[in-house]
Amino acid sequence: MNDSLNLENIKKELEEKLRKVSSEQDLLNIQIEYFGKKGILRQLFSKVLEVPVEQRKDLGEKINNLKKEAERVTSERRAKITGVEAVENTGLYDSLPGRKPEIGHIHIISQAINEIVDIFKPLGFTRVRYPEVEWEYYAFEALNMPLTHPARDEWETFFIDAAPDKKYGRMVVTPHTSSGQVREMLKGNLPIRMLNISRCGRRQIDISHVPSFYQFEGLVVDKEISTTHLKGVLDYFASNFFGEDRKTRLRPYHFRFTEPSFEVDIDCGICHGKGCKLCKEGWLELGGAGMVHPNVLKAGGIDSKEYTGFAFGWGVERTYMMKSGTKIDDIRYLFGNDLRFLEQF
Amino acid sequence: MNVLIPYSWIKDYIKTNAKAENVAKALSLHAFSVEKINKIKGDDVFEVEVTPNRGDALSVLGVARELKAVLPKSGFKCEWMQKDIKIPQFEDKDKLDVIIKDKSLVPRFCAVVLENVKVGKSPKVIEERLEKVGIRALGNVIDVTNYMMIDKGQPMHAFDYDKILGHKMIVRESKHDEVITTLDGVERKLPSGVIVIEDGEGRLIDLCGIMGAKNSEVDENTNKVLLFVQVYDPVRIRRASMSLGHRTDAALRFEKGIDYEGVLSSLFEASEMICGLSGSNVSSNLIDIVNEERKLKSVAVDYEKINRIAGVEISKEVVNQTLSDLGFESNGESVVVPSWRYDDVSITEDLAEEVIRLYGYYNLPGKLLTGEVPLVHKDLSFHWEDIARLFLKHHGFFECYSYSATSKKNVSKDALKIANPLNEDLLFLKTSLLPQLLEVIDGNKGYSDKIKLFELASVYHSKEGDLPNQPLMLGLVTKGINKVDLKGIVEALFDEMGVSSYPSFNVINHGGGRLGVEINFEELIKLSSKVKTYTPLTSFNSIKEDLTFEVPEGITYQQVERIILCSSERISKLEFKDIYKNALTFSIEYLDKEKQISSEDTQEIRKNIFKNLENIGVRLR
Repeated sequence: MNDSLNLENIKKELEEKLRKVSSEQDLLNIQIEYFGKKGILRQLFSKVLEVPVEQRKDLGEKINNLKKEAERVTSERRAKITGVEAVENTGLYDSLPGRKPEIGHIHIISQAINEIVDIFKPLGFTRVRYPEVEWEYYAFEALNMPLTHPARDEWETFFIDAAPDKKYGRMVVTPHTSSGQVREMLKGNLPIRMLNISRCGRRQIDISHVPSFYQFEGLVVDKEISTTHLKGVLDYFASNFFGEDRKTRLRPYHFRFTEPSFEVDIDCGICHGKGCKLCKEGWLELGGAGMVHPNVLKAGGIDSKEYTGFAFGWGVERTYMMKSGTKIDDIRYLFGNDLRFLEQF
Repeated sequence: MNVLIPYSWIKDYIKTNAKAENVAKALSLHAFSVEKINKIKGDDVFEVEVTPNRGDALSVLGVARELKAVLPKSGFKCEWMQKDIKIPQFEDKDKLDVIIKDKSLVPRFCAVVLENVKVGKSPKVIEERLEKVGIRALGNVIDVTNYMMIDKGQPMHAFDYDKILGHKMIVRESKHDEVITTLDGVERKLPSGVIVIEDGEGRLIDLCGIMGAKNSEVDENTNKVLLFVQVYDPVRIRRASMSLGHRTDAALRFEKGIDYEGVLSSLFEASEMICGLSGSNVSSNLIDIVNEERKLKSVAVDYEKINRIAGVEISKEVVNQTLSDLGFESNGESVVVPSWRYDDVSITEDLAEEVIRLYGYYNLPGKLLTGEVPLVHKDLSFHWEDIARLFLKHHGFFECYSYSATSKKNVSKDALKIANPLNEDLLFLKTSLLPQLLEVIDGNKGYSDKIKLFELASVYHSKEGDLPNQPLMLGLVTKGINKVDLKGIVEALFDEMGVSSYPSFNVINHGGGRLGVEINFEELIKLSSKVKTYTPLTSFNSIKEDLTFEVPEGITYQQVERIILCSSERISKLEFKDIYKNALTFSIEYLDKEKQISSEDTQEIRKNIFKNLENIGVRLR
């Protein structure tokens, strides 16, 4: 039948027009063209009267179906263009939760690093990076640890299977960010306020150690730098990172590259220094620090009569895990890349 | 190194009103960290973490010496109880012929022979004390040597004098592959350079400073004992003990240095104890060979520097008193370092540490930095890293962190090999981020049909005679994403980083719906720019439309794109929109900067495009 062919074409044409539409205005024009007072569909209905009576009902029904179909495709297109969805039950629609876009996750280590950088930045510290595969010289000798020194045992160092350099010794996976100290000094710019955050490696794997991990190292070299400055900077960090009411405490320790050397404690977030199940007499160990040893300054070409400095170098993961609220009880999760873990950060 | 020190034993040296908890706290704050107080048989046994520079404190005496200085600072009484040392009655009867091949092996060699020894059990007091510090009682003679090691920090050894054949000792370095059976019954093949003692018949009778030999051990039939107290070269002891994998209590002490001046008094006290416990008497002269003289060591006291390091004013009197409490003898403007701190204290900074730790680091106030803020050239790579991380996160990517080391199958030929790996899976340093990221995809199979991962980390490529190339790379790995979408994300990231001409990159199909891209991030940063330049806006409107073409086999996108763009200068934008089978759809925008572009104009441009594309067989669909 001629008419039905005609109707099919009308629908096809409409669909084609809709496909090309890219603005609401264009869509409105199409709506007027089809559904307006003098629109194509109205005109079709007026044609019903022109056919024999016995065919009128059938044609009317067909035009009606076409109209419904035309309305459906038009509103679908509208939904696409305007973002308003075609729904019948608006009460249900309004009650729906939002449809979230697909968002990924930045790893907790990156987040921790950014937080640390943001705290030190206002104090004038600049972030740097130094080689992760490093010469033994920068990791040990330059830090006042001669080849035969037992202090080296404390660093469970990975050595690279390669011929050693005459001057710089073997290649190692740097076991600490302190290897950047003398490299920073050798740049020759004073004063120094360095923040070296880098990947390190040690030969250890258990609940609190992984063979790859991150450290952040602060180094300040200037005239008249004293232990009280170290204390001030660490307190500033602790109150910003752990909470305003938190405090640090320095205890004696020994590192070959600092003199005096300290172990830094932070008061327990649960009992605030009184002593509880979680801490040691109210304090938790944060990491090492100290006043830069004159031999290290010397290795960095700095006159220790004129300049003094302090340094600290701590594990990023460990420090972040001590922050109340994270509740991560096994450091290995951080490098396990289980997406069910990663999606929580 | 942690040592166990019973409080009751410390009280041999000091008299104090401090409780065990007070002692632990005072030690932790001023000297060494007390890790734990173990309650053993009604005693408080401190577990003390002694730092490697303080070999002198790996003993009851050493800890007591610290407490003498430290306890008064914490408000407790502490009185030193001087022990009198009796010099034994020597007899010129039993002799020992000693040949030392190299004086540097044994800076001090002391020994004495005891006769009429009756080997038996030690009294309960000694057995109990040893038990509290984790040492098994093995009979009076051996027990005394162990007891003295804990008491004075001086390891010693007892030989059966008559098992030293020819009563002769040759102290020398081992030859490669020499064999010795030590007291624990283990036969050990030695590398060269280990300090050993050979007797008159050429037998090895001691693995010096580490463990004695089975062939010369004291047993129940022993009648004469050679009591042996030495100072060995710490470096050789350490090397030997590490290469043999035999880290004994003796070796750990010898390698940290021994108090030269404490050697004789330890020998005298030990021989007196053995005589008392086993009914023996000294039957030789004192053998005391000093191969390395130690002069008194003085360090100038720079009060101003000490204050400068502290950042607070500590008076001369307090400085002097503190140093004197710690055994430093004043010598006008300098102090003499006590023999037990000989290796540890050399410069003013060392003295400053002593003074300030006794003052109490916890008593120091905190000050923020003043002074000029350094002017430095900022490393922008951190900025771009953050841009990339945020961008990728918001496009559904999970950031991963993988170990630097991986297995052989994951690396290329120029990978660095670790000489002392933890295991075979961590034998090489990675040369690409992708293999480990692909493993992450496989390890998270059930998580979702669609997974997007990235990592920003260094890889390591060996370089002849230098540190490796270790560029920062960006690795992306996806599952359930099509290639065009992944490429689009990478290119959008380039846009985000202000990269105007895209570097080439490959999307590699790893099978199973997994795709990977790796980009040298350092090189990308060089192409990035924070500068945004604006193009003046026109007041004319553009006309936009989509065009779909049928593209035959053998034609690339770039060919079509170039032809369209060359067709008219008034094409202001041309973007890939969609592809379905061979039908390629572009979004195209026409703009005339001089006048309002009309549909007649676009008609003409379109015609031109069609004509040009016709030449390579591309037709409008």
